[in-house]
Amino acid sequence: MSATTWGWLVILLPLLGSITIGLGFRALPERAAGLIGVGAVGLAFACSVAMLISLLGDPAESRHHASSLWDYANAGGLDIQLGIYVDPLSVFMALVVSGVSALIHIYSYSYMQSDRGYRRFFSFLNFFVFSMLLLVLAGNFVLLIVGWAFVGFTSYALISFWYRRETATKAGMKAFVINVVGDIGLVLAAFLIFRELGVFNYEEVFAAAPHHFTTNDGTIVAICCLLLIGAFAKSAQIPFHTWLPDAMEGPTPVSALIHAATMVTAGVYLIARAHPLFELAPTAADISAVVGAVTLIIAGTIAIVVTDLKRIIAYSTLSQVGYMIMGVSIGAYSAGMFHLMTHAFFKSLLFMAAGSIIAAMANEQNIDKISGFRRAMPFTGACLVIGSLALSGFPSTSGFFSKDEILSFATARGGWYTAFGVAGYVGALLTGIYSFRLVFRVLGGEPNDEAKELMDTGHVVHGEPRNPATGQAEDTEVGYPGAEHHIAEQAPGMKIAMGALAVLALFGGIVQIPGLDDLVTKFLEPTFADSVIVPADTTGHEWFGLAIGGVVAFAGIGIAYFLYIARPGTAPALEKRFQGIHDFLFHKWYFDEAIDFLIYRPTIAIGSFANRVFERIVVDGVVNGATDVVRSAGGVVKAAQSGFVRAYALLLFAGFAGLALYFLIVSS
Amino acid sequence: MLSWLIWAPLAVGVIGMALPKRLAGLWAIAGTAFVLGMAISLVTGFDTAGGMQQTTDVTWIKGLGVDYSLGVDGLSVFLILLTALIWLPATAYAAFQGQDRPQLFFGMMLLSETATLGAFCAQDLLLFVLFFDLMLIPFYFLFGVWGKDIPGGVTARAATLKMLIYTLVGSLLMLVGAIATAILSAHGGDITFSMRELAAHPLGSGSQYWIFWFFAAAFLVKMPAFMLHGWMPDAYRIAPLPALAVFSAVLSKVGAYGFLRVVLPIFPDATVHFQEIVLVIALAGVLYGSIMAFTQTNLRLIAGYSSVAQLGFITLGILALRPDGANGALLQIGNHGLVVAPLILIIAVVAARTGTDDLREMGGLATRAPILAAVFLIVILANLAMPGSANFIGEFYILNGVFQAKIVYAIVASLGIALAAFYSLRMYQKVMHDRGPEGESRSREISYRESLAVVPLVLCIVGLALYPQLVLKKTDNSASSAVAATCLRGANGEISVANGYGCPGGLPTFGTAPPANPGLELPSAGLEPVK
Repeated sequence: MSATTWGWLVILLPLLGSITIGLGFRALPERAAGLIGVGAVGLAFACSVAMLISLLGDPAESRHHASSLWDYANAGGLDIQLGIYVDPLSVFMALVVSGVSALIHIYSYSYMQSDRGYRRFFSFLNFFVFSMLLLVLAGNFVLLIVGWAFVGFTSYALISFWYRRETATKAGMKAFVINVVGDIGLVLAAFLIFRELGVFNYEEVFAAAPHHFTTNDGTIVAICCLLLIGAFAKSAQIPFHTWLPDAMEGPTPVSALIHAATMVTAGVYLIARAHPLFELAPTAADISAVVGAVTLIIAGTIAIVVTDLKRIIAYSTLSQVGYMIMGVSIGAYSAGMFHLMTHAFFKSLLFMAAGSIIAAMANEQNIDKISGFRRAMPFTGACLVIGSLALSGFPSTSGFFSKDEILSFATARGGWYTAFGVAGYVGALLTGIYSFRLVFRVLGGEPNDEAKELMDTGHVVHGEPRNPATGQAEDTEVGYPGAEHHIAEQAPGMKIAMGALAVLALFGGIVQIPGLDDLVTKFLEPTFADSVIVPADTTGHEWFGLAIGGVVAFAGIGIAYFLYIARPGTAPALEKRFQGIHDFLFHKWYFDEAIDFLIYRPTIAIGSFANRVFERIVVDGVVNGATDVVRSAGGVVKAAQSGFVRAYALLLFAGFAGLALYFLIVSS
Repeated sequence: MLSWLIWAPLAVGVIGMALPKRLAGLWAIAGTAFVLGMAISLVTGFDTAGGMQQTTDVTWIKGLGVDYSLGVDGLSVFLILLTALIWLPATAYAAFQGQDRPQLFFGMMLLSETATLGAFCAQDLLLFVLFFDLMLIPFYFLFGVWGKDIPGGVTARAATLKMLIYTLVGSLLMLVGAIATAILSAHGGDITFSMRELAAHPLGSGSQYWIFWFFAAAFLVKMPAFMLHGWMPDAYRIAPLPALAVFSAVLSKVGAYGFLRVVLPIFPDATVHFQEIVLVIALAGVLYGSIMAFTQTNLRLIAGYSSVAQLGFITLGILALRPDGANGALLQIGNHGLVVAPLILIIAVVAARTGTDDLREMGGLATRAPILAAVFLIVILANLAMPGSANFIGEFYILNGVFQAKIVYAIVASLGIALAAFYSLRMYQKVMHDRGPEGESRSREISYRESLAVVPLVLCIVGLALYPQLVLKKTDNSASSAVAATCLRGANGEISVANGYGCPGGLPTFGTAPPANPGLELPSAGLEPVK
């Protein structure tokens, strides 16, 4: 079979899984629903591998295939095909997405077992995998937008999965609306592309663009900036990032899959995919790189002070995606994609470990209340340490190779790009500190009550679940982790998934050791062969960068050790000393408040103004006046005194206003 | 064939009046199902190559030049199907619900179907106007008699009266406009109301300018457009929901259809001249409707204001005066009908369970009614034009048309997409998610009968989402020629003031006068890359 046939299968299998589970939600036993979900994604991964093999069978220069099922919308001069595009980049993404998804499905199979919404969960989770694969395999901008919006929707549906929690439904809404803003950016970009080039197909767009635009042409910069709005909204880059930490309201496997490993990296994929456009618009690419760099540092500073276990990891995700965005924007495409891959491994591992701990804590997520789990949960603890090591770029772990490759590319490119390298190392120091703050506080210290009980009796504590934010009792009837909680130590499914990811997080880096194998770069080469950004040989820079990276990682971990283990009193003392800074960081740089003040409140104010004043004039004034006239033909006098006169005056006024508006428009 | 289609519902309705109460509902269901069958066979037999098909042309009033002239082309073919498709489930729902004086209720429903189908098939201007006015009569009774007074608020009678006054003023203006058009274009010769003839020999621009507004007023009130929507909130609040479903899904679209069928071809210069004013009204409708929709707490009003916004989008698409905009508008007319009808029926289902249509008194319905929740979710996603739905393709075409014609309007209108996401999802969440006030255990799953009315429509939404081309390939030719009329005018130089307006780059310019029937001769106007 050809690569594109495998590609269609990759997309369709999870969709079929989702539909089967969805339609059969009354008939299917829970276990069967879980198995169908796992099986569909597992098969999708197998088909992705087949697609890879089929693609590798082609000579390097013809490793790209387009295929269309049918005319999706072809009228009025627009030609939109239901088509996919298979090339090394999309295959790479499909492999990462389906592979990590399969592991997270296995994890969820155990983790969600006591949740009453089990089938709904797997139906949505499969639908998400379908959407994400559609996004990465889409062959034109319109289908990309479809996949883009589908992942946004499933993200919403899974964030507000426990839909009886008001915090969860609010967070879902926030994520959805911000993502729709991103979608609009993409839609407008597509219009602009169509205006200039008359096509939506990747192949045609990218082939025509270099002949149509001159470098830094205003239009191409505008196109790229609009694409960036989409990328930033989806990848939670500043200032569109506020939805991601709130998205942690969803079940932990969702955080691992959607809000760490796959969906939030869609922006990175988009920039890499559209690199022929971004290289024509260096200004836009630089803006993007700056935003990535700013995000990686700001998110790092916030991660150091927040106390919610999952939100720490969420801010870390923001920060790491910032690295990737920065990487692909400065031209380090394969490095960015490589980091995307390793990040998917270690970040989903971290979330899984966190989920295991949260389960042991009966859904308590505040790290002030979690301590001393190192002996109660040795396996989970080991995974947490491995994930954190890879995240901080500890030498020889996967994150070590991938992060530093981006940074050494920046320094090798020279000029002001060196600044991005420096920003990256600052971020790396922050990463070391916050990730080991998490490790030391959760695993170190005196075992708390839950940890003790787990050690003494082997049982997991089951509390009456309450939402810490609102104090509301959770509704376990419709799907909140029920009375039983599942931790990795006692659930084989979770253990398998976490074990596999731990291995990948530790050793995944060997596929791309500078100067030795460079497998990722070589594989992606055909996609990026047209890139004009070719820095001098980077191998030397890379080894130098690796050395710095290693030192920085040690330094970060060392500082965390000093603050939380060696001198435990230092951190609170520092907080007190620098109260202002701490508050500023703790309130996440006041982004939420600013958006609330600048956008949400004004819109609501306009709405209620329209409701109170405008509708009253239009509806109650003019019309009731007019109705009065007709209805009370006898009471003409009364009508003439009140309603009619008022209506007449208003009509006159409206007429004049309309005329004035008309002449304004005509004359301009 | 078309005559059968148009008059069959009325015949069924008249016979139904004589039937006993028990049978009236079933008989009406059978009748609307039969009409749906005819409509489907009409669509399958439709020749994609375009042109007016299934024509009937009988002289009716010789002295006045009025013909009983019917026909169907790409503009109307899916609207006819939509009409038949919406009337069946709405009638079915009404029958399951049980009505007072059912014979009369269903008689009125069927009369209104006849009027609507007639308006879509009429090719004679006066015939169109008559059918257009005929639509009003049954709804006057449906809303006035079967409507519910709002305790402490507006009465059904007052609300209906208000609606009547609004639409009647529009209708009368249109009647005057139609007569004026025919007389003026006759130049003292034989009067004709044939739309084809009128389009082939347009009036001078001066006459077009004022008659344009007579027609526009009627159509904009019907939609309703911004500032002319004053009748809408009260009417939506009191209307019996099954009647409201067809009213909102189909009747509001007759206004949009009128622009494409009547205004663009017959008053091309005026359309080009006033393009921006109508665009402004439409844009205001998009924004105002959306903002109102998310401050309302009454489900019916959310649906109503959301319709104002959606009709704003459709008007934008038509007034972009480009083939993509017009195609998008036609697709979106169908999409919105398919969405708003199940939406209102679902509101009826929800209201039957909670005893209210106020959001503040709802919540958590999904716990007991997962199927209802799933169906509602699909409708909501289509309503917010989720990419992947046919509504998205409709909006995409519309906005692309506007974007290429008048870029600013498209950018501002895209705000409407974000607002739509917010108000649609808010409605869903407040009904289905979170927690309601006391007594939420009363909620129960959608019943078998209710789902018979709602689920087929939802399946249509899903089906069309997979293959919107089904509609587009049949509308393409007619939509292109409808807007081509305005372009030819503008580019022709015949009317000097039209130069410089409309017909933005991309459309091929045709050097000669418009052909007698543009639908047959113009190719689908393909867009060439500019450079």
